[in-house]
Amino acid sequence: MTVTEDAPAPELVAPEPSTVAPAPAGLVAVLASGDHKVLGRLWIVAALAQLLLVLGASLYVAAMRLDLAGLANLTDSSSDWFSQIVTYRAIGGTFLVLLPLTIGLATVVVPLQVGASTIAFPRAAAAAVWGYLVGSGLVIGAYSIDGGPFGSSRDGIRLFVAALALVVVSEVLAWICIMTTVITLRAPGMTLARTPLFSWSLLIAGAVWLLTLPVLAAMLVITYVFVRYLGDDSGGIYARISWAFGPPAVYAFAIPVLGFIATVVPVFSATRHHLNRYARIAISAVGALVVGGWAIPSFVGESTPWLYKLPWVAVSFLILIPVLALVGLWAATLRKGRVTLASPLLFAVASLVMLLVGLLAGAVQAIKPIKTLVDGPGSSLYGTSWTIAVASYVLLSLAIALLGGITFWAPKLIGRSLREGAARGVAALLLVGTVLWSFPDLVSGVLGQGGDIPGPVEENVSTIEALNAASLVGGVFLALAFLGFLSLVVRAIGGREQPGDDPWHGHTLEWATSSPPPPGNFASLPEITSEAPLYDARHREASTP
Amino acid sequence: MSITTVDRNPLIDAPAATPRRPRVLFVGAAFGAAASVLLVAAELAVYLQVRGQLASAGDATFPEGVVLPLTPGSMGMVTLAMSAVTISWAVYALRNDDRPNAYVAVGLTLLLGVAFINSTVYLYQQLDMAVTASPAGTLLYIVTATHLLMVVVGMMFIAVMGFQALGGQLTGRDAEGMSAAALYWFAIIVIYVVIWYGIYITK
Repeated sequence: MTVTEDAPAPELVAPEPSTVAPAPAGLVAVLASGDHKVLGRLWIVAALAQLLLVLGASLYVAAMRLDLAGLANLTDSSSDWFSQIVTYRAIGGTFLVLLPLTIGLATVVVPLQVGASTIAFPRAAAAAVWGYLVGSGLVIGAYSIDGGPFGSSRDGIRLFVAALALVVVSEVLAWICIMTTVITLRAPGMTLARTPLFSWSLLIAGAVWLLTLPVLAAMLVITYVFVRYLGDDSGGIYARISWAFGPPAVYAFAIPVLGFIATVVPVFSATRHHLNRYARIAISAVGALVVGGWAIPSFVGESTPWLYKLPWVAVSFLILIPVLALVGLWAATLRKGRVTLASPLLFAVASLVMLLVGLLAGAVQAIKPIKTLVDGPGSSLYGTSWTIAVASYVLLSLAIALLGGITFWAPKLIGRSLREGAARGVAALLLVGTVLWSFPDLVSGVLGQGGDIPGPVEENVSTIEALNAASLVGGVFLALAFLGFLSLVVRAIGGREQPGDDPWHGHTLEWATSSPPPPGNFASLPEITSEAPLYDARHREASTP
Repeated sequence: MSITTVDRNPLIDAPAATPRRPRVLFVGAAFGAAASVLLVAAELAVYLQVRGQLASAGDATFPEGVVLPLTPGSMGMVTLAMSAVTISWAVYALRNDDRPNAYVAVGLTLLLGVAFINSTVYLYQQLDMAVTASPAGTLLYIVTATHLLMVVVGMMFIAVMGFQALGGQLTGRDAEGMSAAALYWFAIIVIYVVIWYGIYITK
């Protein structure tokens, strides 16, 4: 006989009060976060908000160029507000939009790609993003009180210089965090030679910016002191900082473009990157060529002492070599794989075409004997709207690549995928808009239209006005594309469809975790024996009987 | 009693090497030092450019009556050179778990840092030149003040690492924090060598 005793009744014990503080939620979770995904999103959202302002400024300047006679009145000394808007378009577009957007995407993606659980120095990374938010807000504030370059408010000018310096220092800090992550926090097995090419390109870009941004910060410090103590006027400020978005420094913005293309081409060809090692070398070569800190203007002499000197001309031509080598590698990759024309690949192709046109135009600009088509001896192309077009092509290629990056990594960024058809439409619209926006500036530059702040035009007026109208149409296309992209992101965030962990069949580690990734990023990591560990894992599974 | 010997292959039987530590702080400090050096170097380049243009025009660098003294700048150089020894001593001592020596070395480094600040302030007093006296004078103040800021940051870095050592966090192989602080301090010394030669020696 079996006797079954009743199980003893559980003792009723009052639960001890938890000693672990609950995780912060809502706004506090954002304000106090050191999670790289939250910080990256903050960079991206703030940069996209600034993008709307820059778009408005760009369209306004483009519209003003429709009437060249009226423009001549606007650019006289009594109308410095127009010049300020022109400078905001350039400074805002580069240091308040494109560089922060790059940093934001890098802050989210790089730790995931290298298999790290966090970004290096998370508190410093948080300080960087908050420094940028405060600094960029103060830059807008300075402009609003007539304090931008060419402004007349002395307090405003000092605020502008100090705020921009804060932005620059914050961006240096952010790059230090990103670069340190790539160098020190890679997963076991991931040697530097196996680092994903996007992360590699950001390591190279970070090194270039580390060698460039402190020089810009030094110019801002000197400018601040000169304005504060020596009564310098605001006219020289723009000349002292505009080298940072002119050739060769502007080409530094192209490095992440190369990394993005090198990431998506193998994924959408379902094969390995052809000669991965040489792609790495080519991206590094571009980085070595575009360090532009040497091209700062003379503080008391001519503003462009480097113009048409050997280093400047050499960089303009030599940079084509590694980029064309990369184009060859990508063509070989596409040829040996099975190509899927998904939206990220379309973004990549569009950004590559625009970058190539920009670099070619930059090389043409470096040939001194090529002059503008105006009566008399003519002048060199540099300083005309041709120069603006070169910068526009390069910067817009980065913009297209970054929007493509957001599309590609949307599952990791927001936990949702963007609508594929609409994203393809945005990529096409961006391509058409960039061509329409920039190509007329190339032609009008040859016809003698001035650069950043166009001076009076005496010849070919009606032709240049027609070209400017075409450029404005391109600007409207670009604005529609950006707004369409923003609405796509907003709709995706509000949607319910889960994208899955690896919707693109990616090759690198960010696709080995959930979408969006949990705190700590990875529960486990696959074995890393090459630059494409997930591609390896899929092929190992396929070959296992 | 016989003694048996066992053949051991040192390559096989040796204990596995400990995984390489991610030298996060050291690498980050190297990048920070590079950025700081470039900041000061760019300012110095502008100073030298302005001074060169004044010289080629036949003008004096500073207003009449202002003489740039050599002695305080050289004293600063000697002070920082001595601090290079003390900070190396601190790192060496910590790596060898010799904490008393490490505390003394850290203390001496901080003391030498204060002495350097003192010598620079003394230089400003001897110079007796208003910030607004001339563009070159303004640039001199910008360069030296930025370097002073680097020195203060470096001292704070060393002090924090010193406190970590006091708390027992930096010992033996884990003395990376002090190595990172030392790296930043060496960058401060290197850029001061350039300042010393470019500003005080060549005048």
